[in-house]
Amino acid sequence: MLLLPKFDYLEPENMRSALELMASLKSNAKIIAGGTDIIVNMKKGIISPKHLVSLVKVKELFGLEQRKKGIVIGSHVIVSELAESNLLWKNYSLIAKAASVLGSPLVRNRATIGGNIVTARPAADLPPALMAVGAKVELKSKKGRREVALDEFFLGPGKTVIRPDEILTKIILNELPPFSGGDYIKLGHRKALEIAIVAVASRVTLDKPQGIIKNVRIMLSAVAPQVIHAVSAEKILMNEKPTDKLIERAATLAMQDCRPISDIRGGAEYRKEIVKVLTKRTLANAVKEVNRKKVKSER
Amino acid sequence: MKKMITLFVNDKEYEIAVLPNRTLTQVLREDLSLLGTKEGCGLGDCGACTVILDGRPVNSCLVLAVQANGSQITTIEGVAEGQSLHPVQQAFVDHGAIQCGFCTPGMILSAKSLLEKNAHPTELEVREALSGNLCRCTGYQKIVEAVQTAAKTMKKTSGRKRG
Ligand SMILES: Cc1cc2nc3c(=O)[nH]c(=O)nc-3n(C[C@H](O)[C@H](O)[C@H](O)COP(=O)(O)OP(=O)(O)OC[C@H]3O[C@@H](n4cnc5c(N)ncnc54)[C@H](O)[C@@H]3O)c2cc1C
Ligand code: FES
Ligand code: FES
Repeated sequence: MLLLPKFDYLEPENMRSALELMASLKSNAKIIAGGTDIIVNMKKGIISPKHLVSLVKVKELFGLEQRKKGIVIGSHVIVSELAESNLLWKNYSLIAKAASVLGSPLVRNRATIGGNIVTARPAADLPPALMAVGAKVELKSKKGRREVALDEFFLGPGKTVIRPDEILTKIILNELPPFSGGDYIKLGHRKALEIAIVAVASRVTLDKPQGIIKNVRIMLSAVAPQVIHAVSAEKILMNEKPTDKLIERAATLAMQDCRPISDIRGGAEYRKEIVKVLTKRTLANAVKEVNRKKVKSER
Repeated sequence: MKKMITLFVNDKEYEIAVLPNRTLTQVLREDLSLLGTKEGCGLGDCGACTVILDGRPVNSCLVLAVQANGSQITTIEGVAEGQSLHPVQQAFVDHGAIQCGFCTPGMILSAKSLLEKNAHPTELEVREALSGNLCRCTGYQKIVEAVQTAAKTMKKTSGRKRG
């Protein structure tokens, strides 16, 4: 049986005492949210924090709410709730879809969105989908709060801009412009409990139904130390009509935008091919979603 | 330092002192002697340690007992009603969905949770709901059939409300 090292466990009563605690303990403390990453890492002996701080009593971290201009998700919302949320399926279906393929149902019932972000695994499922819609995170410490775009949050595998005294409190999704759609597809060796070999999240915004592309983001995951933009693919799509031919060309460019490695999960060449296929499919589905939404709103 | 926690396991209240580094699996097995919950991998991969925690099936090997303080927990020991097996348990027996039995408690708890949310799951939905529970013996087919049979029996007897 894998045993956990010794540590002290703390449950601050509210946000203010949580921030005090993090400020005084600094690098000696780690937050435990769902525990699906940190407990595994502690059992394997990779990390051994002196204190684990649980924020279960900090109620404000558990909400998923519509605001005037978008949606705000508390850092401790579990992945299952994202996958079950009608609000997300309606407004940001790619995030709900990414949530529904994370780990297994058992893992999703504990894993939190905040944990999935802070842990910064290169193949984590939620970050690419969140980045495709331009999500921001709120970080709080005793000294104050700051908002950081997810694009600027990750520094490398396991590395982020979060300081030891900071708590990720919420994820902010600004309302997408009208005529936006998206999709997330992950390829693994099997359907569950699988880390992505490659995953792609795409989001497009058209000027009108069947119109031209005004904005596009294509995020490629598991093909670099961190999630990357398919820069040249995004570029040729701008201000163009998303025809099958153009999408095919963009997908080929996406393949050249990444530098995957070969490992036990897949060879570099294979990964590139998959990037192409998934870019094509996610873009086509994103465009389809725009046109589907339009039909609904006309009813 | 030990912490005092309260667990409501299978409708019974337990007040116990636990060290923070003990998992819910360990406390259920070692302190409460509920040996139906198994530990396989200890890392979230196999599902042998599945319990229902506040209405959702989870890997109890990845939950600290202190994190479960105040929670309602159902283990395999709490599934039967007195002397009669739960329809999911009965169907597992009838279909030969149990071989060595190590995965069975977890499978049954995941299946029971599914059927409470979705009374008529498709085969795909059953497989998806059980995808965090690994079985080295049966090849899954009989397990899936058992769950589908249980869905039918539960529908027939749904006049009697089950917990
Ligand atoms: C069997 C298994 C399969 C998995 N499959 C997948 C998969 O397919 N895709 C995937 O993306 N992930 C997968 N994971 C990884 C994991 O489940 C996710 O990354 C999960 O979202 C982590 O969230 P958590 O709440 O459990 O994090 P925790 O383990 O509680 O925390 C993770 C890290 O984040 C820090 N942290 C957590 N919350 C905060 C906060 N609010 N502020 C500051 N720091 C914080 C913690 O200190 C810790 O360092 C899998 C894990 C297991 C065990
Ligand atoms: S023992 Fe918990 S998942 Fe394997
Ligand atoms: S019956 Fe042996 S592991 Fe499933």
